[in-house]
Amino acid sequence: MSRKIERLINLTIALLATKRFLTKKEIFASVDGYEGSAETKERMFERDKDDLRNLGIDIDVGGFDPAFDDEAGYRIKSDKYSLDLGDISGVEIALLSLAAEAWRGAALDSAAQSALLKLKSMGIDSDLDSIPSISPAIRTPHTDFEIISRAISQRRTLSFSYLSKQLDIQTRTIAPYAIATQQSFWYLAGMDLDKESIRTFRLDRFQGEITIGKEANTFEIPTDFDILKSLNTDASNEIATIDIRKGKAHLMRSSALSVTDLGEWDRVTVPFFDLAKMVDLVLWHGDDVFVISPEHLRNSVIAALATIVDLHG
Amino acid sequence: MAKNPQTPLSRTSRLLDLVPYLTSHQGIDLNILAQDFSVSSSQMVADLTTLWMCGLPGYTPLELMDLSFDSGYVTIHNADTLARPRNLTIEEAIALLLGLDLVVQSLPQDREDLKEIAQGLIDRLSRLANLPSRIRIEPNINESIRTLITSAISKKQAVKIQYHSLYSDEVTKRNIHPLEFRVDGAHEYLWAYCEKVAGFRSFRVDRVLDATISGPRVELIQSSASKAADPITYSLEVFSRFRDVAERFALDEMGKGSQSRGTSYSSQWLLRCVMASAGAVKLTSPQEIRSHIAATASGLLDRYKAG
Repeated sequence: MSRKIERLINLTIALLATKRFLTKKEIFASVDGYEGSAETKERMFERDKDDLRNLGIDIDVGGFDPAFDDEAGYRIKSDKYSLDLGDISGVEIALLSLAAEAWRGAALDSAAQSALLKLKSMGIDSDLDSIPSISPAIRTPHTDFEIISRAISQRRTLSFSYLSKQLDIQTRTIAPYAIATQQSFWYLAGMDLDKESIRTFRLDRFQGEITIGKEANTFEIPTDFDILKSLNTDASNEIATIDIRKGKAHLMRSSALSVTDLGEWDRVTVPFFDLAKMVDLVLWHGDDVFVISPEHLRNSVIAALATIVDLHG
Repeated sequence: MAKNPQTPLSRTSRLLDLVPYLTSHQGIDLNILAQDFSVSSSQMVADLTTLWMCGLPGYTPLELMDLSFDSGYVTIHNADTLARPRNLTIEEAIALLLGLDLVVQSLPQDREDLKEIAQGLIDRLSRLANLPSRIRIEPNINESIRTLITSAISKKQAVKIQYHSLYSDEVTKRNIHPLEFRVDGAHEYLWAYCEKVAGFRSFRVDRVLDATISGPRVELIQSSASKAADPITYSLEVFSRFRDVAERFALDEMGKGSQSRGTSYSSQWLLRCVMASAGAVKLTSPQEIRSHIAATASGLLDRYKAG
């Protein structure tokens, strides 16, 4: 196996060092490790190119020089191969180290650590002393991150099985736009290619494997797309007026827009996006909350209460 | 970095990253180098031995990389072509971007200067990875509270907290002696001795509303003898909104329209969950809680009809 590794490294060095495109003939003649029949060498080279691309190394193809023959040439551009973050300070290295440490034990731990090694290779000492002692931590057990992030970055589609509201397993295919966390859950947003509209999906409702599209650059992400906005605008934003018993319903109070003291009760206004979720939240608080308006929220709560009485009476 | 450090591709990847790392860390101890790359020392020797055979076409000593590691300390020369660190992969960039987003939110208010520097890094990395602000992290945990508690744990201090108990819907002040953070599913918990209940409890970190250091931590022996009450066994009939119900009651297996059984330590939790299911479920047992639900719902219904 070492032979293959040596050959891949030598190929990388040769393609990086060359100023002009190298033809396959030149590569086979000069790079160590290409042996056997013409066909064998050809196959080896094709596989090596794929392997390097899988490692994220871009190989440029070009240089059809009529003075020689019509053969394509290859090279690796040094500015694409190497990390260029411009000038970077010790403070910046320290902040990046904290960012990488936040993944300790979570989904992207190994990617974060290898990123950190590359940053440390720039030979700049981390200036940790100038940063207050904070210890941010990401707690994400999901392992689908890598495939999802690759799909977003390369503009490839994703197909997956998703648990619907009725517990059916549905197959969805989307053009992924963005991922985000909200209230401890991770969401993926994108254009649902069957439904032809933007949808958001909770990652823990994915079932089984995710498949990534074979072709890259199949769609464009709207430049003004904001995932947090799309998570919160399932329906139009409404404001409810609700009476809350003093010292109760902290979940609801935390999003209150205004509070008026009524003595034993407070009258608060809270925004809501989804009628069904708001009904659930009102009912969760039992007789500590009482809906004043809007009418349709009040009617939905009354209808739900009537059903609960029927079922349990 | 691939999971298995031995596959040809992950070894190739590591060797390519080793060259710039060695270039900027000349004379590094071989064992430390192995640790930095999360491999065994013998794997590192194998990697260096392979690397030793690589170089520019020609492959005479003039073209080969000049590595020395016999002494236990590693130096590299004649490796200019690979001396600059490789570009970040997409996964690496995403990991750093999400981490930085969280760092920005964790920094104290009065460090606008650092927030600006971190934001500048986010912009540069986003451009590099072709991901213009596509990823956001929104912790529902107040990171400054988390930072305070983390420091209290390491310094063995007690903490005074304001805590929102969800099921009883009360905010209480408690003096706690925190021991560690634990993660269960999507949520993070704090395991601590609580003076109020004179026992160990776990607290959902996102429900800690405020925290201040209150003094040194009392050394306590964790007793496994819990005073937990017997669990309540309940059964449900589910009619609709199956996914909501399954997630709310944390039911693993549930067919449509089926009977489900579960256990809970809190009758308040059960009552609230059934109410909040808005008629999608019927609690068939226990009878006392069922009657309580009927009474609460019909009392509320009367109030709505009156007002």
